[in-house]
Amino acid sequence: MALISLVGITKRFGSVVALDNVSLGVESGEILGVLGENGSGKSTLTKIIYGVYVPDSGYIELRTDGLMRRAFFSSPKEALLSGIVMISQRPQLVEELSVLDNIALFLGYSRGRTRKIVESTMSRFNIKLNADALVGSLSYTEKQLVELVKALSFKPRLLILDEATTYLPRDVKARFYEALRTFASIGGSVIFITHKIPEALEVCDRIAVLRRGRLVRIFSRKDVFSIDDLRKAMFEEVSPSVATERVEEAKAEDGKVLRAEGLVVLDDYGKRAVSIDELVVERGSVHAVVGVAGNGQKELCEGLSGLRKAVEGRVVLDGEDVTRSKASERASKGLVYIPEDPFRTGVVLDLTIMENIRLFATGRLSSDTVKKVISELRISPPEPRIKSYMLSGGNLQKLSLSRALLLNPKCMIVHNPTRMLDEASSRQVKLLLRDSARKGVGVLLVSEDIDEVIDVADKISVIANGRIVKTLPAMYPRLREEIEEAMSTYA
Amino acid sequence: MPKIAVVRRDLPPTLSAVVRLGAALAGIGIAILSISVILGVDAWTVTERVVGTFLRPDMIRYLIVFLPVGLGLAVAYHARLWNLGAEGQIVMGAVAAAYVALFTPLGEIRVVGPLAALLAASLAGALWALLPGILRAYLNVNEAITTLMMNYVAYSLCNYLVYGPWRGRRVYGYPETDLIPDASKLQWVHGYSFSPWSLVIAIAFVPVIYLFLYKTRIGTALRGYGSSPAAVELSGISGTRLIILAFFVSGALAGLVGGNEILMYHRKLVPGEKIGAGMGFVSIMVAWLADLNPALMPLSAYYVSALHYLRMVMQVGELTEPVARFFIGLVFMLLLVSIFVSKYKVVIRK
Ligand SMILES: Nc1ncnc2c1ncn2[C@@H]1O[C@H](COP(=O)(O)OP(=O)(O)O)[C@@H](O)[C@H]1O
Ligand SMILES: [Mg+2]
Repeated sequence: MALISLVGITKRFGSVVALDNVSLGVESGEILGVLGENGSGKSTLTKIIYGVYVPDSGYIELRTDGLMRRAFFSSPKEALLSGIVMISQRPQLVEELSVLDNIALFLGYSRGRTRKIVESTMSRFNIKLNADALVGSLSYTEKQLVELVKALSFKPRLLILDEATTYLPRDVKARFYEALRTFASIGGSVIFITHKIPEALEVCDRIAVLRRGRLVRIFSRKDVFSIDDLRKAMFEEVSPSVATERVEEAKAEDGKVLRAEGLVVLDDYGKRAVSIDELVVERGSVHAVVGVAGNGQKELCEGLSGLRKAVEGRVVLDGEDVTRSKASERASKGLVYIPEDPFRTGVVLDLTIMENIRLFATGRLSSDTVKKVISELRISPPEPRIKSYMLSGGNLQKLSLSRALLLNPKCMIVHNPTRMLDEASSRQVKLLLRDSARKGVGVLLVSEDIDEVIDVADKISVIANGRIVKTLPAMYPRLREEIEEAMSTYA
Repeated sequence: MPKIAVVRRDLPPTLSAVVRLGAALAGIGIAILSISVILGVDAWTVTERVVGTFLRPDMIRYLIVFLPVGLGLAVAYHARLWNLGAEGQIVMGAVAAAYVALFTPLGEIRVVGPLAALLAASLAGALWALLPGILRAYLNVNEAITTLMMNYVAYSLCNYLVYGPWRGRRVYGYPETDLIPDASKLQWVHGYSFSPWSLVIAIAFVPVIYLFLYKTRIGTALRGYGSSPAAVELSGISGTRLIILAFFVSGALAGLVGGNEILMYHRKLVPGEKIGAGMGFVSIMVAWLADLNPALMPLSAYYVSALHYLRMVMQVGELTEPVARFFIGLVFMLLLVSIFVSKYKVVIRK
């Protein structure tokens, strides 16, 4: 029995067609996956259901009192009233309030009543959280769990997750999936948005594939299909091989291009977030730092790049002490940092694609260079003159990465570069990292993704509580097991 | 039940300019009508007066002030640096130009004298703006407050000079200096009170500032700095230097205008309130009216200059000061509405 159907939905943003005549239904008790590469229109689809955008044409039907009736939502509040709740990539919580108060605020109930509901939700869906903790003190992962409890406590009919699990560590993802399955088993419907094929395969009953705003095909559990079929539907062209990159031996060249000694960096609250005895990045190699999110990775990157002050220790770039230099000076000396959040620190949203590229290019900038960068990084839409804020997260990330192509770095610090990217783009970025190393750049890859790290790094360090607890060469036997063990023992 | 919502939108730049232009014209029309109805003044008289001022070259004297100052402010505002001190920067430019013309031998030399005076004026304006700039860049002191306060410091400084050490020997006790030497004066176009050279210089800054903001790496960085300082910094461009540069440029342009006011208009240094005459504040509006776009700045400066001149004219005829103020207020209100219309739209659905 269908709960909601989209009928002929089209949505344009200027010249970009984000959704092109998409019709799609969700059954009660079903987890429907929506899979597509960055910029394929997934978020636009959810925002239309959630009342953020109004479609240019087409409409939504919702089962109301046993009948399918047309529904029009002009704000998320109205969608909520019809039993639709969305969880997105970014937690929508008030940092200054407790978990409980946040949920009470959302439900519009008293604290006492909310506590009862939250407790029953947590036991029913097997989620453990401290309801009295201040949201501001929680990690990203915990905040997403709060979002899940908040959404489930509302007892929605339809739950939409827009890349909500993409950044979560594996074990938390599993808990999320379990909760979704329980929710579906009691009749709830789920729209699960992702750009990661394994995620979609793991949890969805059916998978709708979007490509450049068009619904390409709906895969169902009953069908027989291969991952390559999914890939082909997603990317159109010949399915890109995801075979692991050849891990090269670290070249025994002389050069330490970046060295941190006794580095201590504080977090936003003045707590010691990083305290590292020694970290060395060699010329022409990829050195990865892997760890569970929130173990000082951001502070490490910012301390090395100069966005954050080092309270102790030294940072040496190519033999020169840059501990006192500002981020801009370090960047012009060849230390390029690609932060994980392209929205706030990676890209200037108010400028066009071309203008952002101009910022990164020290010399004269020809329109051919701009075109080359856009096509090399598969930035979509490939129009240099559109404002960056119109790009989807993944495409912004790619734009941010174009620094690596233009600023001629000696050393690159890259934080979670593929987190927002689909498979094909991720591969592109990994190739770019390897390629930079081949050209002699020292690459420091800070990541939460073990697979990615094993894929591209020559040397791997594990970070926990702001310390490097283990460093291994990529050729080490039982590498994955060693890393996983280090990550979980010290964290 | 119909639903009404206000949503953001981005009109293409040309269309948004057209909307604003329409509002400007409509505003004038409505103002004319309401004045003639409320005050019983013949609509034709009012129209004649208004259209007249828009067509009379007299107002170029104000355009020469508003255009460069507006351009300079646009540079700062693009970086979201709130320089509210153009008034004071104009006054300091005037002081510097008067000094060169009156108290250095350069003042007696043709061409060289005025050029040196204008250069000194730009430098003085720039330095005056630099102090709040440095405080903002290094100590994060709010620039809106410091620039605003420094306007009054500039007034006082100028007044101290004209009431004290610089007071002229042939001015019968008025608070002003002697006239500057003829060699330093910028000659008027016959019958009007502006110099063609000043106009040429003012207009020449339009393409310069435009190319700087939109075609250079530093200018682009300035436009991005306000919203994403970290992204700019990580591109290897120092935020501190951008702030200093923005203040320097906007101060220099205001200072230049102040110097020009001495050489072209007053021909002597007078009290600060008379030099700035609030035009430094009106320039803020000029900058925003053009949406900070240098290419639209001439239009915006022309419009504001005409209204400014109109106010002067109206005070003399049967239309008195309060009417003039009402008129101008009404026109600006309509412009605000038009700015809102070009940024937001109202959606109604049944
Ligand atoms: N508010 C907007 N204004 C203009 N273009 C937009 C806007 N939101 C999305 N787009 C464009 O629509 C397309 C689809 O974006 P989106 O739905 O965010 O993709 P996805 O979530 O699949 O990565 C992209 O090309 C994006 O640039
Ligand atoms: Mg998205």
